[in-house]
Amino acid sequence: MARPQTQIEKILSSHATEAPGRPVGPEDIVEVTVDRLVLLDMAATHPEFMSHLPHRVQHPERIAWVFDHLVPAPTVELASGLGKLRELARRWGIQEVFDVGRGGISHPLMAERGWVRPGEILANTDSHTCAAGALGCAGRGVGMLEVMSILCTGKTWFKVGGTVRARLEGRLPPGVYGKDLFLALAGTYGGIPGKNLEFQGPGIRDLPVPTRQVVATMGAEIGAEFVLFPPDPQALAYVRSRVPSEETLHPLEADEEAIYEEEWPLALDGLVPLVAEPGRVTRNVKPVEELSHVAVQRAVVGSCANGTLEDLEQVSRILTGRKVHPDVVLTVTPNTNEVFAEASRLGYLETIVRAGGLVTNATCGACFGGHLGVLGDEEVCITSTTRNFQGRMGSPRARIYLGSSATVAASAVTGHLTDPRGLLTEGG
Amino acid sequence: MRIAGRAWVFGDDINTDLLYPASCFRLPPAERRWQTLSASRPGWAREVRAGDVLVAGANFGMGSSRPAADNLKDLGIALVTADSINGLFFRNAINSGLPVLEAPGVSRSASEGTLLEADLTEGWVRGGGWELRGRPLPPFLSRILEDGGVLARLAKQGYID
Ligand code: SF4
Repeated sequence: MARPQTQIEKILSSHATEAPGRPVGPEDIVEVTVDRLVLLDMAATHPEFMSHLPHRVQHPERIAWVFDHLVPAPTVELASGLGKLRELARRWGIQEVFDVGRGGISHPLMAERGWVRPGEILANTDSHTCAAGALGCAGRGVGMLEVMSILCTGKTWFKVGGTVRARLEGRLPPGVYGKDLFLALAGTYGGIPGKNLEFQGPGIRDLPVPTRQVVATMGAEIGAEFVLFPPDPQALAYVRSRVPSEETLHPLEADEEAIYEEEWPLALDGLVPLVAEPGRVTRNVKPVEELSHVAVQRAVVGSCANGTLEDLEQVSRILTGRKVHPDVVLTVTPNTNEVFAEASRLGYLETIVRAGGLVTNATCGACFGGHLGVLGDEEVCITSTTRNFQGRMGSPRARIYLGSSATVAASAVTGHLTDPRGLLTEGG
Repeated sequence: MRIAGRAWVFGDDINTDLLYPASCFRLPPAERRWQTLSASRPGWAREVRAGDVLVAGANFGMGSSRPAADNLKDLGIALVTADSINGLFFRNAINSGLPVLEAPGVSRSASEGTLLEADLTEGWVRGGGWELRGRPLPPFLSRILEDGGVLARLAKQGYID
């Protein structure tokens, strides 16, 4: 019998340019065809790309261009760069251009638009492309040069890494969210550079798709190559509602006997709100309660991971009838324009603004220290974005704590790191 | 593929935001390299000489897909060798034509300023009195490096100028 395979091994093997379907395993290098490719506004900042443009591209219908990192353009160079990208998209016949004000952050946007499909391979020039794994899609961040290669040839290569299996049991208690789940894993088990992470177990059933998206997105922070959830009925229903009905899906699941390098059990019932302390997430996590002495001046909700409608709902619930602490600046960034519009309709944005929070357009913005509120020297920030590296959000002398959007909102109200559970039940 | 050069030794978790700070995106390409590791080791970028080798600990290049390898290449770094190297950085390096070698233990064996020698395809690195086995680069990837990276390869295949 053929070697049983993990979910990622199956996806890579099914896309191999040589002998597709032949089992692959750790250490193999597989050349694969790429189903979909996402380009970003940042392409304009890559001199290699701008000065060596491909003469033409393979499969323009499988390429989307999303302007999300630095929009609206904060400098003349970037504004001019966007103009060049629009022209290129026209020249290459790329139809799916999500221009400023008409899209959002690429990872949630692509899922929303039915571009993230189980069993497929999706490449994007951004490290958090592993977000696609929430829907059973092998999403991978690749560099600009790699993207040029995919543009020209439609193919790329992957080194197959060993796979770790996280087994989830139970249900998340109230006030505990996807970010806490991820931080629990990163804090307990640490990094897995070069390896993949697959989620299994009965605990998945009760995790809504946006929660899975947070967890899958954050996988980049433990160095995972691919992060995958199984294409269960919930994931398939989400994708189905966004994909034209005549198109068939090709979901792939792990074989029962698949070989995993490590098992990570996690009981969801016992989890509490967590934060990662500045610098990294791996083995650097504590319960929020233990850090309530830390005063904050900045609070940020947003990013590809945590700017969903669910996040904005949590924030608005905590801010209802309350004010942002006078010493804190709160910035809230919905992650797509669709989420922005919906949060506006539901009144979440009004609540946030009346409480003294600032709502920005859907962009990466503050998450990578690009614009719309970089951190100053010595500022302490609690954020539900993706990274707490030194210097990530502005000054290298700022300190970044990572937590759930509810933890960010609660801390914005009190002015220090605060477990959100108290504020979610009483009052709002 | 054999490389020799003078070592600079760094610790664990050197991430892409340190290698290629966000400020680079606003600078002209020729000036970006001087920002390399400016937050954690100010002044270092100006001390590097073409042909030097960067040695690091675990998880080198962890982080985003920004072209962090290009800053090192532009500074003239001839080889990056680390206890472990992030997968995305690893591919970006190969694609940029920057030689990389994963060699567990190298950050403890190498001392700064000494001469190192390495062979990528055979998979070893050595200094004064020590030698370590690393992960040999598979032929598929050495060919990209030998072509001078992806750009040179695509040009050779007629896709770009
Ligand atoms: S929101 Fe942050 S992590 Fe996500 S794609 Fe943008 S910069 Fe990257």
